[in-house]
Amino acid sequence: MRRRTAVVAGIAAGALAFVAAGCGGGGSSSSSGSSSGGVQGASHTLVQSGGKKGGTITILSNGDVDHLDPGAAYYQFTYAITYVTQRPLLAYKPNSIQPVPDLAASMPTVSANGKTVTVHIRKGIKFSPPVNREVTSADVKYAIERGFDAAVGNGYAGAYFGVIQGAPKNIGNSVPSISGIQTPNKYTIVFKLSQPSGIFVSALQEPLTAPVPAEYARKFDKGKSSSYGDHQVATGPYMVQNNASGKITGYTPGRQIVLVRNPNWNPKTSWRPAYADKIVFREGFDPTVATKQILNGQADANGDFPPPAAQLKSITSNSSQKGLLEFTPTPGSRFVALNVQKPPFNNKYVRMAVAYILDRNSMRLTRGGAIDGDIATHFISPDFGSHGFIQAGGFGFDPFKTANNDSGDVAKAQAMLKKAGFKSGKYSGPQVTQVADNSPPGSNTAAVVANSLAKIGMKVKTISVQHSAMYTRFCGVPKNAPNICPNVGWIADFHEPQADLDANFNGKNILPANNVNWSQLNDPKINALMEKAKVELNSEKRWSEWGQIDKLITESAAAIPWIWEKSPTLYSPKVTHASELWNGGEPDVSFMSVK
Amino acid sequence: MALLEIEDLHVSFKTIDGVVHAAEGVSLSLDARKTLGIVGESGSGKSVTAQTILGLTRFPNATIAGRIVFDGRDLITMSTEDLRDIRGARIAMIFQDPLSSLHPFFKVGHQIVEAIRTHEDVPRDVARKRTIEALRSVGIPSPDERFDSFPHEMSGGMRQRAMIAMALALRPDILIADEPTTALDVTVQAQVLELIQALRDDFGTAVILITHDLGVVAQMADDVAVMYAGRVLEQAPCETLFNEPEHPYTWGLLQSIPRLDAPRTDRLSPIAGSPPSLIHVPRGCTFHPRCPYAPPPAFEIEPGLDPSQPGHLVRCHLTVEERKRLWQSLQQEHPVLR
Amino acid sequence: MGAYIVRRVLWAILLLLVVSFLTFVIFNVFPSADPAALRAGRNATPALVEQIRRNLGLDKPFYTQYWNYLKGLVTHFNLGYSYYNSESVKSEIFSRLPATISVTVGGFIVWMLIGIPVGIVSAIRPRSILDRVMMGGSLVAISAPVYFLGLVSLFLFAKGTGQLQWFGAAGSYVPITQNPGTWFDSLILPWLTLAAAFAAFYARMTRGNLIETMHEDYIRTARAKGLRESKVISKHGLRAALTPIVTMAGMDIGLLLGGAILTEIVFNIPGIGRYAYDAIVNSDLPAIQGTVLFGAFFIVFANLAVDILYAFLDPRVTYG
Repeated sequence: MRRRTAVVAGIAAGALAFVAAGCGGGGSSSSSGSSSGGVQGASHTLVQSGGKKGGTITILSNGDVDHLDPGAAYYQFTYAITYVTQRPLLAYKPNSIQPVPDLAASMPTVSANGKTVTVHIRKGIKFSPPVNREVTSADVKYAIERGFDAAVGNGYAGAYFGVIQGAPKNIGNSVPSISGIQTPNKYTIVFKLSQPSGIFVSALQEPLTAPVPAEYARKFDKGKSSSYGDHQVATGPYMVQNNASGKITGYTPGRQIVLVRNPNWNPKTSWRPAYADKIVFREGFDPTVATKQILNGQADANGDFPPPAAQLKSITSNSSQKGLLEFTPTPGSRFVALNVQKPPFNNKYVRMAVAYILDRNSMRLTRGGAIDGDIATHFISPDFGSHGFIQAGGFGFDPFKTANNDSGDVAKAQAMLKKAGFKSGKYSGPQVTQVADNSPPGSNTAAVVANSLAKIGMKVKTISVQHSAMYTRFCGVPKNAPNICPNVGWIADFHEPQADLDANFNGKNILPANNVNWSQLNDPKINALMEKAKVELNSEKRWSEWGQIDKLITESAAAIPWIWEKSPTLYSPKVTHASELWNGGEPDVSFMSVK
Repeated sequence: MALLEIEDLHVSFKTIDGVVHAAEGVSLSLDARKTLGIVGESGSGKSVTAQTILGLTRFPNATIAGRIVFDGRDLITMSTEDLRDIRGARIAMIFQDPLSSLHPFFKVGHQIVEAIRTHEDVPRDVARKRTIEALRSVGIPSPDERFDSFPHEMSGGMRQRAMIAMALALRPDILIADEPTTALDVTVQAQVLELIQALRDDFGTAVILITHDLGVVAQMADDVAVMYAGRVLEQAPCETLFNEPEHPYTWGLLQSIPRLDAPRTDRLSPIAGSPPSLIHVPRGCTFHPRCPYAPPPAFEIEPGLDPSQPGHLVRCHLTVEERKRLWQSLQQEHPVLR
Repeated sequence: MGAYIVRRVLWAILLLLVVSFLTFVIFNVFPSADPAALRAGRNATPALVEQIRRNLGLDKPFYTQYWNYLKGLVTHFNLGYSYYNSESVKSEIFSRLPATISVTVGGFIVWMLIGIPVGIVSAIRPRSILDRVMMGGSLVAISAPVYFLGLVSLFLFAKGTGQLQWFGAAGSYVPITQNPGTWFDSLILPWLTLAAAFAAFYARMTRGNLIETMHEDYIRTARAKGLRESKVISKHGLRAALTPIVTMAGMDIGLLLGGAILTEIVFNIPGIGRYAYDAIVNSDLPAIQGTVLFGAFFIVFANLAVDILYAFLDPRVTYG
């Protein structure tokens, strides 16, 4: 994810990576079939049919969306708007970790060699005014192509669609024509891939596949920065309010976003109930104040921020209020990355000593304790369920288990240090450096890390910077990378383990800048297993292979996962029907109904 | 019948350091058209006595007792409301430092107009004319223009003239001049004193002149009171005081009169030692620690203010004979005192 | 006076240049995020990051970037475009100006309307119970952070969230042109919150100044003239006691702007303070630069205005 204001970053998913995708992690984590130590709401709102038509829904948020343009949007909160205004080829239904057709008429078909993916799109889907014409496969082609234009600035096109034949390696300020995207007729789109991809179909649920009318959008895509977002047209049940010429009038940056019904949307073509007539996203609210306003019924749900810890505690301990809370598990984890390229963490046993000594329980307390989620014992989170979590050993896999509730074990850590050559069992090498957030909760987490390491004699020098600077100037730039990055994390874009592990731990992905393999792990064996799993088209086999990879990475202790978070969503007492998006607990307003 | 009669005035202030006894049994009287000089070093209680006449010492921490009778009424018990009619109109006052005594942010003319209109219901333009007249009468050149001057735009002497103009604009019965020349140059001093004298003669205003400078008193006063540590030590007609002073403190003051043939010092401390703190006043005669002639009773018992001859009061344990003898020998030692 | 003003304005411009340069240097020297990487997202390919870096002009050396910025500023009064969302910084600042002016000017008025009378009442009766209560209360107000005070006021007095549903809630701000009543209602709590600390401080200062002034010789003169005590205080006392306070207030404008940032955040008012806050969070240099320049401009010219005003208030002061 890109944007969280500091207040929110202080509490919420500030450190997790991108927009999530995947699992319909509705009101509870039941979909992943796991037990969980976290507090959960009484999912009364998870009713999906029979809601009242009409009315206005108000969502409060602290910050703004990243980009209204569906081709540039890459942030959980923005997706709450994107998915109800745009129709990508596929999308997630509530409580599901398997994408289903949305703009597509049926699930894509993949050729035997895995290099051709064919999608048929629904007939009779029309763009909202002022375009008003029927959507064709060419509109999907143009939408994906513009993802490779720097003026649009899509953050994931290269990662998931770079596998299409003819996808440009160099990015310029124009929309390229990609030969591997073919439109044999108005309702068929064919993707020719340069190699098989196990995740390509899942990636078709990204908003980049939502159609964009080229003849209308091209003039806005010109130049160094596209302005299509301010003139966008919709295919979903709602559209951002606009005027007759198509100029968006319902968006005041940092202030509010108004969604109204899309007059060209045909409910028969969609599984979204779209109860409300109007949805207003009001931005700029302090989380404490907004939480109180939602509880009082002045607004209906929280957008980009979780209710602050103190208020969460009071809500969950109040029997009349706790039913208003839903917890959505996130497809990812927070972890402490250890730089394996330089001493002392080039020694596996020193890393394992760290894994044993880290007080993961206290680290979790810095983010609110059990209410924030389970202590993570490996990387693929419970939210993945049968898509890798079970295969990695589920809750049972904990290679650095300690007897005391994961609060760190000096004896086990010392045993590892002895193996590493520290005869006394105390670390006696040079001081190590960590680059950490300069504000809570990240700064507190980093302090726990430093205190834990002190128990085995390891002195830690902490450099405190802004969260975004920690990523873009230090941990994400190998030549500036410290020994420890205590505040990193990642949320997968969909429920494919590749989206969770490849970027973070594949040695091929170590980049000189904007690097997300923060451990700089480059293990030939793991790299090879990943390349093999990526092209595995049989999903059961693929998930099983990634499960094994997760185990290997965890055992290497290149990074130590410590929390699988859950996002709280708070609804007002007026809300009768609701569901959350799969991507981190944003309310799915197309399933919300108010009294 | 005196115009103003002060009887047994006691003024004290409670402060963090203790009680300041600024006036202890002061009795004075002022006749119409006369000038009463009050002389003393700083801290002798002379200014407090003078300000108490107009009720300017009515602070929350002040205790005031005695009587100040003016026009048949006691100014001490009078309400502030009634007293306001007397302030400025019947009894006016000018102060030592005309720069700090004039409001820095208001034009001089305006400050005088304000005084007039506080007491008389006259239109602004009439008050303005009278102000310009008053400014002219105190010898301020081109008073029309000076009306619009700010205090800082005037010279020190000019400012004190303006203060006098303000004080006399309403033709008061009494002008209290509290060290009116102390802050001024020598040449200007003489001009201001002449002005006060002339106005007294022209308007028949009685004057209470407060000063530490006996020379000024000699020039101006009809009667003189010498104050020390909140008490009157000697009181006599001017002539008598200068020719036959009886109190050792007065002798000391006389030795310090500025002379044209001697270098001038601004604030003279004519006698060895310094005045006592008004919080811890010495027992017995308050002057005894500095008095070279103090007889033994002076250490324990405070002498009364007793007449040595009609109209001449002295607060001293020495006998009249002893005082005369001592004064004569002093005169022989210091020919200037003759 | 004219020459003086010209000289001051020239200095002010030089100062703004220095401020803008320092902002640039600080942004480039101290660890802040890489705007290109931030804009591209963490899953972006290196090619995309580099193209965005070029698009934002961040591939050029920093003195070239600064020169280009200055050129745009001087020739077109162009404050650049946000790294984050490509919006024009100038139009963002100008569109948010009315909200910030509403908050600060209103806060300033409330600050003065509360601070000065409380100070006067306390000064007239020093050490009375009223004085003790007011000065004690002011200590509390000075010590309480704006953010905390804002939350407390919302939970006590705001419609919806408060115990007493009296005033507009957080986020209820509308432009005055849209609905003056709602505008006013929505700003009551922000004004009080913003003004509280200042008002308390100024009450104490007014009290101290006035008590001191009431011991001045010219006050004694005014009393000796026979003026009513009420007039002595209101005219002679306050005229002198309040003049330095005007100067102080001018210099405190900077603090007021700082307080306005927090106030706008707590009460969700779409002003420049909120914009500045978001700009810092997003490492959005053009937006940071724009708001810093705006703030500096405001402070420098408020000080100039106060200096000129002071010459009118205190006739002893002249500028040459």
